[in-house]
Amino acid sequence: MTFSLQGGRRWIRILFRIWLLQGCFGRQSWAGNLSTTNLFNSAQVGLWSLQPLKDVVIPPLAGNSPVRGAVNPVDSFILAHLKARGLRSSSPTDKGTLLRRIYLDLIGLPPSPREVLAFEVDRAPDAFIRVVDRLLASPQYGERWARHWLDLARYAESEGFKADETRPNAWRYRDYVIRSLNADKPYDRFVREQLAGDELWPEDADARVATGFNRHYPDESNARNLMQRRQDILNDMTDTAAGVFCGLTLACARCHDHKWDPITQADYYRFQAFFANSAADDRIPLMLPEAGNRHASRLTEWEARTRELREEMNQLEQPHRLAILEDYIVKYPELIQAALKKSAATRTPFEQQMVAKARLYLDPSSHQYLAPPSACAAQMPTAKKSRWQDLKRQLETFASLHPGPVPLGSGIVEVATTAPSTFVLRRGNWESPMEEVQPGIFSVLNSPSTGVIPAVNRSSVAKGSGRRSALAEWITHPKNPLTARVLVNRVWQHHFGQGLVRTPSDLGLKGEAPTHPELLDWLARDFMDHGWSLKHLHRVIVHSACYQTTSVMSADLAGEVEARDPENHLLSHFPRTRLEGEIIRDAALAISGRLNLESGGQSVFPELPPGLETRGGWRVSADPSARDRRSVYVFVRRNTRYPLFESLDMPDTHETCARRMVTTSPVQALTLLNSRLSHDWAESFADRVLGQAGADESIQVRVAWQFAYGRLPDANEIKLARSFFVSQSSLIAVREQAGEAVRVPSPLPLGESSNHAAALVDLCHALMNSNEFVYRN
Amino acid sequence: MTLPPRSFSGSRRDFLFGAGGGLGSLALKSLLLQDNLGLRADEGVSSIDRLNPLTARVGQTLARAKSVIFLFMEGGPSHLDLFDPKPLLDRLSGQPMPDSYGRPITAMGTASNTLMASRRQWQQHGQSGIWISDWYHQVAQHADDLCILRSCYADGLNHVGSVCQMCTGDILAGRPSLGAWTMYGLGSANQNLPAYVVLTDGAEVFGGSKNWSSGFLPAVYQGTQFRNEGPPIFHLAPPSTTGPEQQRGKLDFLGQLNARFGADKPEDTELAARLNSYELAWRMQSAAPEAVDFTKETAATRRMYGLDEDVTRKFGGNCLLARRLVERGVRFVHCFSGSGSGWDAHEDLEGNHSKRCRETDRPIAGLLADLKSRGLLDQTLVVWGGEFGRTPFNEKGKGRDHNPWGFSMWMAGGGVNPGTIVGATDDLGLRAVSDRVHVHDLHATILHLMGLDHLRLTYPHNGRSERPTVNDGDVVYRAVKV
Repeated sequence: MTFSLQGGRRWIRILFRIWLLQGCFGRQSWAGNLSTTNLFNSAQVGLWSLQPLKDVVIPPLAGNSPVRGAVNPVDSFILAHLKARGLRSSSPTDKGTLLRRIYLDLIGLPPSPREVLAFEVDRAPDAFIRVVDRLLASPQYGERWARHWLDLARYAESEGFKADETRPNAWRYRDYVIRSLNADKPYDRFVREQLAGDELWPEDADARVATGFNRHYPDESNARNLMQRRQDILNDMTDTAAGVFCGLTLACARCHDHKWDPITQADYYRFQAFFANSAADDRIPLMLPEAGNRHASRLTEWEARTRELREEMNQLEQPHRLAILEDYIVKYPELIQAALKKSAATRTPFEQQMVAKARLYLDPSSHQYLAPPSACAAQMPTAKKSRWQDLKRQLETFASLHPGPVPLGSGIVEVATTAPSTFVLRRGNWESPMEEVQPGIFSVLNSPSTGVIPAVNRSSVAKGSGRRSALAEWITHPKNPLTARVLVNRVWQHHFGQGLVRTPSDLGLKGEAPTHPELLDWLARDFMDHGWSLKHLHRVIVHSACYQTTSVMSADLAGEVEARDPENHLLSHFPRTRLEGEIIRDAALAISGRLNLESGGQSVFPELPPGLETRGGWRVSADPSARDRRSVYVFVRRNTRYPLFESLDMPDTHETCARRMVTTSPVQALTLLNSRLSHDWAESFADRVLGQAGADESIQVRVAWQFAYGRLPDANEIKLARSFFVSQSSLIAVREQAGEAVRVPSPLPLGESSNHAAALVDLCHALMNSNEFVYRN
Repeated sequence: MTLPPRSFSGSRRDFLFGAGGGLGSLALKSLLLQDNLGLRADEGVSSIDRLNPLTARVGQTLARAKSVIFLFMEGGPSHLDLFDPKPLLDRLSGQPMPDSYGRPITAMGTASNTLMASRRQWQQHGQSGIWISDWYHQVAQHADDLCILRSCYADGLNHVGSVCQMCTGDILAGRPSLGAWTMYGLGSANQNLPAYVVLTDGAEVFGGSKNWSSGFLPAVYQGTQFRNEGPPIFHLAPPSTTGPEQQRGKLDFLGQLNARFGADKPEDTELAARLNSYELAWRMQSAAPEAVDFTKETAATRRMYGLDEDVTRKFGGNCLLARRLVERGVRFVHCFSGSGSGWDAHEDLEGNHSKRCRETDRPIAGLLADLKSRGLLDQTLVVWGGEFGRTPFNEKGKGRDHNPWGFSMWMAGGGVNPGTIVGATDDLGLRAVSDRVHVHDLHATILHLMGLDHLRLTYPHNGRSERPTVNDGDVVYRAVKV
């Protein structure tokens, strides 16, 4: 009986595999020029996202327009859909809520009480528009929106896997994204730089660093089987690029034709072939020529002064270095050992790939070099080692002459003059190559109406094989039906918490259909017509009346909505969204007056909970104010996400994330309620309140509410707070009398008792934990 | 620390729901609404409470076990010296491996090294006559409870990928761990404790928290690592500057703020869930320290786990804690021995393994005996193994290299077919050759015993309906008690 159960299913699986393989062979699906009608069924060919953008006529404004005057084309679409379902739009929200909403949305920080007041008294019709302009021009805009893009780019600053080594220059990509967003770099240029900056603008440091997008794959430095590793990395690049730029779940086609979407297995490997000649380059020079010359001459001088010392050290190190490298190389499979022994000119393109990968560990200038002086010294016998250490100490006396490390960037370059062949892989297994394929776009889109891909041509680019730049050109072609749709949907999603398509990286048949297809197309067209400007797109969206409606439904609307649109697809009211962990931290730091707004540069390391171990290291930033920098600058270690962020749904950085989950757990509550950090924030917040309010309890309550919520407390809330003060301060007084420590800011204003001040700290802490604070309303 | 008694005010009843409280139509409807918690009607998982996704649920099939204790010997214990004796290996010791075996790519490039006999004394045990070496002579007393899977195999060559696969099904990080899938399928039977707990006895596990990650499942399903010192969970208690009454006062005030804020937003269950989470946190604050407090255990029990001896105290303590946790309804306990690759015997198998076996033999035997005497073994699935086994050929003369092609694991309790051996490796123990058990098969079997069908336990992610066993996996029915 047991046998038949197990055996039976195995047979079904075998038959299924045969069916899959026959599907492949029978259809000759790798022949890109075949008519797609032979390959796909009508539902696949008719998939909405693959059709050219429609020329949409803005519907006439329906009668039930909202009260506030600012109605724009977005509203025409939204209201038409609401009307068709017999629904209406909520009323506009109050100005305080609107201001907090737009601040948290565009810059990820709450407005100060002064900014709230200024907005509330500004009766000019363009008051909101001017706020939006100011926020979009603020450097904090890029810091806020870069985080959304970093989720997509699976950005991290370490390798992952066992050792999780730091990637010392990965942060430059983060700064590149922030800079690009702040400069409102046209999205098509932004895409081209990230996919092929090295080919198109090899002299432009920013464009080179942009290729870091494809460098963010997790990697295993301890791998011996580099053939497998290369395939894993290629798969990562393929799946990420297709998901991020095209909104397609390509990974499904790695082992067999896509089960739902019109993507064949051959399409998968054609797309992969664009990346086949790429490899990591962690030594992209970023210094301008003059600075470079200065650096070089200082270095020459340092080298001359230290030559003897270094030569003696090197002699001591050399036998150990050779042993370390030899021991490492012999563990490689023979193919790689052989490739390493060959001269560069005689290596095949594939062997060049293997060598490029191995070089990360064998090249003394690589940050992952296996045999740096310290590793050699670790193997020396005692007497030799003490001599080496003595020399090292002498060498250190020249440190002031050394010009420091050259700034370098991390990204992707082309390896060989000819790309290695790409094959369709049976079941995705690199050891089972089938037919060779050339770089090419999805066969279903191989039509002039959906954008033309240029011939891959080495001479068309400044450097490289031209493969990735050809891909970049197709992706950013104005006729490409996917790119602009995918992007405007992502931006919409971050403004409203939900996209018009709720599966933002899956515009396929298994993804959700757009709730407002005409609006999506209109936005996409408008976006391209305005030079792919993200800031224009933000304006179009947030200027709409729809963006400015209240999130609180009136009782009668709630009934209608529950019956007709329970998921608020039609946006009758603004969707309340919980803030990301990063923004909760930024907002808490902001209201407690601790936030350090310094921008850019190496990442910072705030404190971890005592006892948390991290392989790869987490050296807490020495400067306390650095620990209070914005969350986007907190170091992203792949295997140890910053715990507060991790508990609040920061995505795993091993793969691209298009939409964060929102989960609720006791761990979040414990962290925000009990961590010493959150108590520090509460104390600083209370200190600030005392600074403004003095010892007057009712003013304290008003000020605290204004900072935390951007509004004044109502009468009931004041009553609630005052009765809390009574009960809490008497509890604390008992503790004080018992000699227990309590937490109080100092110095206290005249007339403020310590038990009352400690109760204020608790009140501030409760506000920072409250739903109103952690939601964008 | 004692906590003041807790009472719910009437006005808050609308917002607070006790653990596992049925929510009727509200929960069901929000279940259908909430797509990003994976709570879609087409899922194979029974309805998930929107307010508390950890509420206990029934499985999909008959559950044989309520909890899993996975004893993970990290680094790769040698099957050839513990559960899989090979007479041919003794005979050919010192010679190169016959050509018929080929030359696999190994982690350390050792496949051309000579074969190395096991130095263990072997004996058959119990009614079942299962062979177990002298390194595990106390575990051997429970031979008739064990089901040895002698034909396990895995895909990874290196530790971190292989540990990751044993925990998540894939050598590349990013997928949900088996524990997370279990929580997704079954929720938690005790709301006051994390339902999926990780215990370590040394350094950080290779790959760290990736191994108990929720992957693409909601974050509530990730494992919680208990600390070995101090409070078991980070931030379990407030700093000492906040007293218990003060904390309660603050929580009550927070509850009032949240209740007021939510009053005109009754449709937003997320707000209520967040309010609820603070009460859960409050209860965890007393439940977790109670769970790790051994003072009420008898001296005999402590001895059983080896708490009276230095060498066994650490792992024994974790085994005892594992029992206390499953007793309290925790679903999945991952208990690492030699965390940080402690079983990785490349250079000195005898030295390494005799130490590791001494550390674990008595505690594991104690755990099995204790579970049995309390009637818990029937409902607790105990799994033993590492990320791979070790090679028959030597490394550096006295060690063994990684062997993912064939190795042993065992299961006991919770619906396991006791006193049996499943599968076999070849005559040198290099590769699994009959009734092969891939990691996915093992996972399918564990889930099966927990009442979950690995084919129907699915979650939509990136256009795929993902399941714990990726594309493969068959339940090993021979390991299941009929």
